[in-house]
Amino acid sequence: MSYAAGVDVGSTQTKTIIIDEHRRIVGRSLTDTGANVMRAAESAFQQALGDGGIREEEVEYVVGTGYGRYKVTFGNTQVTEISCHGRGAVHMFPRTRTVLDMGGQDTKAISVSQSGEIQDFCMNDKCAAGTGRFLDAASSALDIPLGDLGPTALRGERPVKISTTCTVFAESEVLSWLGKGKKIEDILLGVHESIATRSVGLLRRVGIHEEVTFTGGVARNVAMVETINRRIDGQVNVSEESHFIGALGAALFALDRILVSRTPAKAAEDTA
Amino acid sequence: MTEAVFPEWRDKPLDEVLYECRELLEDTSFPTVRRWREAGGKVVGHFQVYFPEEIAHAAGMLPFKVRGAPVEATEADSRFGSYLCSILKTSLELALSNRVTLDMFVTHPICDAARNLAAVWGRNFEYPCQILYLPQNANSQHAATYLRGEYDRVRRGIEAIAGCAVTDEALRRSIGVFNENRALLRTLYRIKRETPWLVSAEDAYVLLALGGIIPREEHNELLRFTLPLIEQRTAKRQDRVRVVLEGAFCEQPPLDLIRAIGRSCYIVDDDLLIGLRWILDDVPPAGDPLKSLAEAYLECSTHSPVQHDLRKPKHEMLLARLANANADAAVVMAAKMCEPGLEEQVAYTQALDQESIPYFVSEFEENMTSFDHLEIQLETFIENLLFD
Repeated sequence: MSYAAGVDVGSTQTKTIIIDEHRRIVGRSLTDTGANVMRAAESAFQQALGDGGIREEEVEYVVGTGYGRYKVTFGNTQVTEISCHGRGAVHMFPRTRTVLDMGGQDTKAISVSQSGEIQDFCMNDKCAAGTGRFLDAASSALDIPLGDLGPTALRGERPVKISTTCTVFAESEVLSWLGKGKKIEDILLGVHESIATRSVGLLRRVGIHEEVTFTGGVARNVAMVETINRRIDGQVNVSEESHFIGALGAALFALDRILVSRTPAKAAEDTA
Repeated sequence: MTEAVFPEWRDKPLDEVLYECRELLEDTSFPTVRRWREAGGKVVGHFQVYFPEEIAHAAGMLPFKVRGAPVEATEADSRFGSYLCSILKTSLELALSNRVTLDMFVTHPICDAARNLAAVWGRNFEYPCQILYLPQNANSQHAATYLRGEYDRVRRGIEAIAGCAVTDEALRRSIGVFNENRALLRTLYRIKRETPWLVSAEDAYVLLALGGIIPREEHNELLRFTLPLIEQRTAKRQDRVRVVLEGAFCEQPPLDLIRAIGRSCYIVDDDLLIGLRWILDDVPPAGDPLKSLAEAYLECSTHSPVQHDLRKPKHEMLLARLANANADAAVVMAAKMCEPGLEEQVAYTQALDQESIPYFVSEFEENMTSFDHLEIQLETFIENLLFD
């Protein structure tokens, strides 16, 4: 049995998925990226091998993706996270036509075909106001763990208006609302709504076509899912493993390469 | 002028020559222009795009291509509105900050902002600042006569600065030098089209761009040396998409951006610094040289969003450029705040849609330093074509 692996080196976390020839997930790992990107990629890959009980030599092809994709030096090639999230989302939710990928560093809206091919896409500009980094800033300003942000925000009833478009200034705006005596949950709900507004703006640029799948680490945030659902007047698909979708897409691309290499034409080309 | 202003590349292997060329192009203190002046030479600065450099060359002056630079416009910012493109500001900044010293400046009305540049420039310097008025109606039977007259007016202005007559004989000699330069640049672009794996996008650009800051005789010598060596390289062809890059006719993308695009695909043709190669064929060396140059502009020049000639729909010329280069796709860019460039994107993308040619649209600025977003979007576009 041969295996294919996808290593998604994100700005915050590095994810690895290993699949078999039947596209079944057989190994996975999740680790903090930290400062040494190359080591994070290697470590995530080794952990996934351990998780699946697979020997390294059994993995025939490795695709790196994410912002650190070129640091997956043991990999065979790189594919951008836009392509990988599109592919992974359609694999997980086959009726997906629009993908919202929200990571720590950027947010992407992606329009995909039935086969997962990218039709159109757009990203947030240089500003990180519509990304997970914005939540980091709020988490740090309010001294609330990242994992508690969503549940806390959902308790909010009267969201404050976050007017800044800059993550750097977001922290001071959050503190300023605190100073005015606003409830933490209302401030947090305001932060989520601010991000949701920007993200839905991106989605509109590529067209919101059902079904919409929400991927990336921020998709695990329940308040973010809720605020986006409200704004698109629908229900986005969210997988328990939303943060693995990029790595899954990369693994699927890797498997494509393995299968193509086995076609007679390719084999003849390689021999020549 | 007998001393070379750019001797650093001589007696070196190709890779080191290209390194020296990159170093020179990225040096915003313009040492070659300074050396030219220190040797007693005079300099005509000409703003993008269609300037007949032969006239300045025939006067023994250095035609310096004014095309901005990746510098902070700390002094020039106060001379322009914030809504204007970067190249205007950084071009003037080069002069205000004494990075380059000119003896004459010529612009032409390629857009409203460029038209007003001569007046803004003129308020800051003592030397003559002129506008070369290219024919607005290229289809008129009087266009060639009119343009010859304009070129003659520029000639007289240059003569006054150079302190010598620009004779027809001198002009014919200059046309010969520039004809050789155009032929060498056509060879460079043939290499890009036929064997793009032999020369990287940024090296091709650097070799082209140096023509705007060193004397053409030196540029010809450099190209005569490097092009055969590039053709002898043994680099391996890679499985990459072939693209035409369109939109850099005036403001130039930073070298790092060209490098980033070249990492994802082969740029097999482009309009980068088209103002250094806008005449597409040899100009007849005999006869009335100013008339020949005027006719070359009207009958033998390449398109750009700032040339208005009903016989040359720009989108058709882009399609022809794609076909001639056997390109798979187009990368259509425009400088931020560039009205002509942004307007033309509409016609370009419509034509590309009609022909079902894939394209990628983006904007750039000469001062940009972060290319991650653009690179990832371009890579995704390319992946889509490769995995199609």
